[in-house]
Amino acid sequence: MKKFVLIKMMVLTMCLAIVNQSCTDLDEELFSEVTADNFFQTDEEFISALGAAYTTLYGMYNTPGVIGAQEISSRHMVVPTRGQDWFDGGVWQRLHLQEWNAEDAAPNAAWGTLFGGVTTCNRLIFQFEQLNNPSTTPFLSELRGLRAIYYYWLLDMFGNVPIVTAFDVDASSITQSSRAEVYQFVESELTDALQNVTGAKDGSTYGRVNKDVINTALTKLYLNAEVYTGTAQWAKAAAAAQAVIGSGNYSLSGTYAENFKTDNSGSSEMIFAIPYDKVFAGGFVVVAQTLHYASQATYDLTFQPWNGWSTVEDFYNSYEEGDIRQAANHITGPQFSSGGVRLTDDGAEPFDIDGPPLTFTPEINELGPNACRQCGARVGKYEFALGATPNLDNDFPLFRYSDVVLMRAEALWRQNPADAEALDWVNQIRARAGLAPATEITAESLLDERGHELFMEGHARTDEIRFGVFTNAGFDKAEQEACKELFPLPQSEIDANANFTQNPCYN
Amino acid sequence: MKLKVDFLSRGLLTLILAIAISSFTFAQRTITGTVTDAANGEPLISATVVVLGTSTGTITDFDGNYSLEVPADATQIEFSYTGYATSVLPLGADNVLNATLSAGALLDEIVVTGYGTQKAKEVTSAITSVKAEDFNQGNVQSPSQLLQGKVAGLNIARSGGNPNQAFQIRLRGVGTAGANASPLIVIDGVPGGTLQSVDPNDIASMDVLKDGSAAAIYGTRGAAGVIIITTKKGQAGTSKVDYNGFVSFDNRSNTVDVLSADEYRAFPGSSDQGSATDWFEELTRTGISHVHNLSLSGGSKSTTYRVSANYRDIQGVAIRTGFDRLNARMNLTQKALNDKLTLTANVSTTTENKDLGFDYAFRQATIYNPTSPVRDANRPEYDGYAQQILFDYYNPVAIMEQNINQEQVRTLTYNLRGSYELVDGLNFGLFFSEQKTSESDFTYFDKNDLWQGANRNGLAQLGDQEFSDQLFESTLTYDVDLDAGKTLKLLAGYSYQEFVNEGVFVTGGDFLTDAFTFNNISAAQDFANGLGSVGSYKNSNKLIAFFGRANLNIDDTYYVQGSIRREGSSKFGRDEQWGIFPGLSAGVVLTKLADIPAFDNLKLRAGYGVTGNPPVDSYLSQQRFGPTGNFFFNGAFTSSFGPISNANPNLRWERKTDISVGLDFSLMDYRLNGSVDFFDNTTSDLLLDFPVPSPPNLFGSTQLNIGEIKSTGLELAVDFAAVQNSGFTWNTGISWTSYLQNKLVSLSDSDAGFDFGGSRDISNLGAPGQNNTPLIRIEEGADIGQIWGLVYEGISGDGLWQFADTNGDGMPGENNDRAVIGSGLPTGQLGWNNSFTFGNFDANFFLRGTFGHDLVNTFRAFYEAPNQIGSYNILSSSDPALTDSPKFSSFHVESGNFLRLDNASIGYTLDLPDGSSFNKVRLYVTANNLFTITDYQGVDPEARLSDGNAGQFGPLSPGIDRRDTYFAVRSFSIGVNLGF
Repeated sequence: MKKFVLIKMMVLTMCLAIVNQSCTDLDEELFSEVTADNFFQTDEEFISALGAAYTTLYGMYNTPGVIGAQEISSRHMVVPTRGQDWFDGGVWQRLHLQEWNAEDAAPNAAWGTLFGGVTTCNRLIFQFEQLNNPSTTPFLSELRGLRAIYYYWLLDMFGNVPIVTAFDVDASSITQSSRAEVYQFVESELTDALQNVTGAKDGSTYGRVNKDVINTALTKLYLNAEVYTGTAQWAKAAAAAQAVIGSGNYSLSGTYAENFKTDNSGSSEMIFAIPYDKVFAGGFVVVAQTLHYASQATYDLTFQPWNGWSTVEDFYNSYEEGDIRQAANHITGPQFSSGGVRLTDDGAEPFDIDGPPLTFTPEINELGPNACRQCGARVGKYEFALGATPNLDNDFPLFRYSDVVLMRAEALWRQNPADAEALDWVNQIRARAGLAPATEITAESLLDERGHELFMEGHARTDEIRFGVFTNAGFDKAEQEACKELFPLPQSEIDANANFTQNPCYN
Repeated sequence: MKLKVDFLSRGLLTLILAIAISSFTFAQRTITGTVTDAANGEPLISATVVVLGTSTGTITDFDGNYSLEVPADATQIEFSYTGYATSVLPLGADNVLNATLSAGALLDEIVVTGYGTQKAKEVTSAITSVKAEDFNQGNVQSPSQLLQGKVAGLNIARSGGNPNQAFQIRLRGVGTAGANASPLIVIDGVPGGTLQSVDPNDIASMDVLKDGSAAAIYGTRGAAGVIIITTKKGQAGTSKVDYNGFVSFDNRSNTVDVLSADEYRAFPGSSDQGSATDWFEELTRTGISHVHNLSLSGGSKSTTYRVSANYRDIQGVAIRTGFDRLNARMNLTQKALNDKLTLTANVSTTTENKDLGFDYAFRQATIYNPTSPVRDANRPEYDGYAQQILFDYYNPVAIMEQNINQEQVRTLTYNLRGSYELVDGLNFGLFFSEQKTSESDFTYFDKNDLWQGANRNGLAQLGDQEFSDQLFESTLTYDVDLDAGKTLKLLAGYSYQEFVNEGVFVTGGDFLTDAFTFNNISAAQDFANGLGSVGSYKNSNKLIAFFGRANLNIDDTYYVQGSIRREGSSKFGRDEQWGIFPGLSAGVVLTKLADIPAFDNLKLRAGYGVTGNPPVDSYLSQQRFGPTGNFFFNGAFTSSFGPISNANPNLRWERKTDISVGLDFSLMDYRLNGSVDFFDNTTSDLLLDFPVPSPPNLFGSTQLNIGEIKSTGLELAVDFAAVQNSGFTWNTGISWTSYLQNKLVSLSDSDAGFDFGGSRDISNLGAPGQNNTPLIRIEEGADIGQIWGLVYEGISGDGLWQFADTNGDGMPGENNDRAVIGSGLPTGQLGWNNSFTFGNFDANFFLRGTFGHDLVNTFRAFYEAPNQIGSYNILSSSDPALTDSPKFSSFHVESGNFLRLDNASIGYTLDLPDGSSFNKVRLYVTANNLFTITDYQGVDPEARLSDGNAGQFGPLSPGIDRRDTYFAVRSFSIGVNLGF
């Protein structure tokens, strides 16, 4: 069993006299890892290799991550500094104030996650092409489609990013592309993938790229084309959305809440999910990010939450009377343990509005440094199971059907403000939210509808930019320059690539 | 495995006791004589006279006369005198034995150089040899402590008094960024030893190879310096039994200063819980430790042996911390075939059981509400400990008492050396050695522990790791006299060493009962629902080397040494495995060339050497794949495989070149001896997990060879026999180190397209609330250890921090206003030893200081903000005017200069009556850390040489005092040395 044996040593005693092979043999022996030489051989191994391209998605909800950058920079969310908590060098305040810089972890972490996905896709495409095995060939278009989706987010957040499609390239050969070029690239890759990926929608495509996923990505791309390129593509957006709707694979679910419950994988609206799991696929940690320390007892959590992410008061108050999504999306009011005992905040400040009993108030006294600890409505949209770990079991809806129908409505409305189909879609969404039908669509009403329906799903920043309100003044926040609509490239990338140019606003 | 080691330890102990008991009574006779100076015939006062290989001895009187009772079977007497060559004379039938001694003794002292020894006078490189009699005294638990402050250029530091925490050792400043920064430990010829396997009592000498010309013979592992430990051996003659033991009493000497219960209550906004608790008092105790060392040694002309057993039972000052350690060692030498063949065998085993406790409790003791009671009978859900629900806030006593954190470490080392003299002066040697260290970790968090256990309904963690290596070496040495006065020593060798590391980890929670603690992991219900986790790993690597050395001595006036080692490691890319590491040094004795007034000896030496440093991990040159998570495929999760890191097939040795110049001098008839050394080290091809662009790389960092570090310094060591009277002697020694420069020259490689971009900020301060707050700037072309942050200017009228607008853009206190606000590396280091004898009394005190380093006091950076008084206790230094959140700035950076009375002891040696079965009885008391003079407000001003939060850049981020620092300790010991 042991590699070391005395006999081996005896052989080596000869070495001083005769320099033979074993005396200078420095080959490495691997035990708990593998190299490409003894991997990528069976179908099972190909599948597990493909998986690496998707596991990157588990990082989307990181603290900070892609979703956080989309939501906290918008008028939906804020992370106040409560005494000593959540100051973190000011990154959370700056994310809300839109005063971030090229060294801030938010949004730099998003770049790392998204390009991690791109590079993994490139590696797998390279390796599968080299294998040239019939089992892996179908993976190639799936990977190209997934890579294009990672690039869609890069296009949206950073704009002028390098387009890298090969794996074995030299760092010095990488050049930056303009946002318009990236748009062209994403469009052409998605269009190509659409021809080749599976049109099926069943258990085998859950959490993976199929035609519906590609069409949803195309809808988002076209809907924001004016922002990305200066040229609107409303008709194309409407058509791509119609392709998803027309597939017949999805329908609006009976209740809003069932899309976000712990076991939501059966939701009829789920187009592209991150199939989070407390055991196999952790990373969906909104329960930790938002709840108060003492809320551990409300849900019998296996950890102490961090008392951070909260709803901006104005957004909480923007729901119409009777909108069931207000109570579904946010947690407010007195808090109790799972056994019904009123919870207290042992560290309540003297200036707390209603003293030590734990009560979440929509009002937040200030962004920092002394925001009160119980201030702010918390995120309640995703069901917190009793006994949950920080890693929720709920699947996260990256692309959801109600987003597609609202995008279809918007694309039609943009072309014709009186479009009847557009109003019908909006009213279907409103009806499910317990609201009376609207008689017309305005920019403000449509943005609010999207905000209330898609809160904390990672679309808020993109939507606000498209509606031209992103950089407006807000809670404790001054109006910002329009160039803040793009995040800066990480300083480390600027340092490592002499030919990169930083986005405007950040030089 | 455990049984085997324990069996071996206990077996050796039994053997020692058996032999000891059987060998007590001897017949005696009395020898008299006079000891004189060979140069002028004058008597030598207080010269030492001992029976060789025993502790039976005396000193000469005012007329140089002595009288000594010796055992009947004694054969040799050793005469020694400070500054003079030691003389060993055979004892015949005559009861009178006179001796003449020649000045210049230190020059003949044996210095261990690696694969051989030299006389001090022959040494041409920077080597400091410290013998057992010069070691630090008192409450010493680790070999590192023996050397602390004794060797110029060697910094040995541990912050706080955690008995289970290892010392950080750095030689001649920072010479690496991402590779191993601690010197190579060589124990009885085995490179890569662990200090844990040697008991301080068993060490005869420690030799520190400080420069490259000396360390090059150890090639790829010599870059951080080499510490060679030689254990005590038996000597021919009567068998000898020694017992050394002490009891020590430890108390906390320093904690951070927080508000007392009354002060807290008086503070506006505080949250009075109605009680009064001193959490530091609750968390500490008087640690009572005892240490025993028993050894038996002796031998005949052909066989010598020494066996020893050491037992240590150590209590930390923090409750539930400490360790016990049982160590046994046997050294055996056998000569055969007309003394042409020498066989040496060494065996050593150690079993150590540690109670690690939780350092996290120290942070909690600092911030826990002083008006909270320790216990609250109304909280059965917390086992009756008082608790509050706040973020990152737990009763420190509950942390320590409810949970268990233990580690068992077992080491087994054995080696066998054979040496055969083929012809006169030509020796062939073979050496085989094996070392194994096993580490088992056991942690259990109670079901009612609010901190961890309650979350998981009880949580057990087990870990088992084994690190082992086998070494084979063969050497050929040839000593030849070329001509009158000219000698040449040659060495050639081959070395093969293979390392295997493996480990298993298991974590599981959700227990029905606390009864099992960590002993029945299958009772964890986590395994049924998938929340339990298991892991294992195994890796190996090989080092193969060919080496040679030549030493030339011309008329004891010119000395030249050249060595070369060609070494390969499996850790590198196929084309980069082998490296060549040469060393060259020369010395000239100026006093032999010319008569230099006042100088008895003056030797100038200079050396140049190249040494290497391998990466810590294996396999970095290969693209490896492993499990990277799970992939939802066809309705179920399947393991997904992906790369583990970016591969670097060009990975090669980190390469250090150094130039060292030194001057050894002796004055006043060799009463004053010393040396001055200058060093200039350059490390290039630094091994670093370096940020690379992604894309195209898979990961944002790759293990690369990149950049350059430079360090220069000046060392001074002086020993002075100040008073040498028959009734009173005083020896004093000073070592001083000036670290002149320690600079990060570059971290870029433009040819390879890697640009560091000038600087990077690392070492995050951390939660709560101070993430994204780097404390250290690493900057190309600047000094290592720059502390980086905003410049404090005061507190505004409304209680907000005011920071300087250093970039003058009218916006003060922004990220771009950060500046260098301190330096984490020491610039000077002092050790000052004084030893006295007065009649039967001996005394010793040792002062140690480190200067020029600043420390980030993270306690102050977090806990001086009064706006947290409702939740947390705050430091007494808090400014009531502040209303802002804690924000790190220059306000929290303090000078770490200190001077400490490291140890002071007084001993008394009893006059023994004739016929006593003892030949030595000495009693002593020692105090360690009696006082520390410093302005630093934290627990311990000791330099922090690296930071655990900096990842691969750890060695480049010195100067951060993190909040989990164990309390500083003062200790008093009472001990006895007995010789039979």
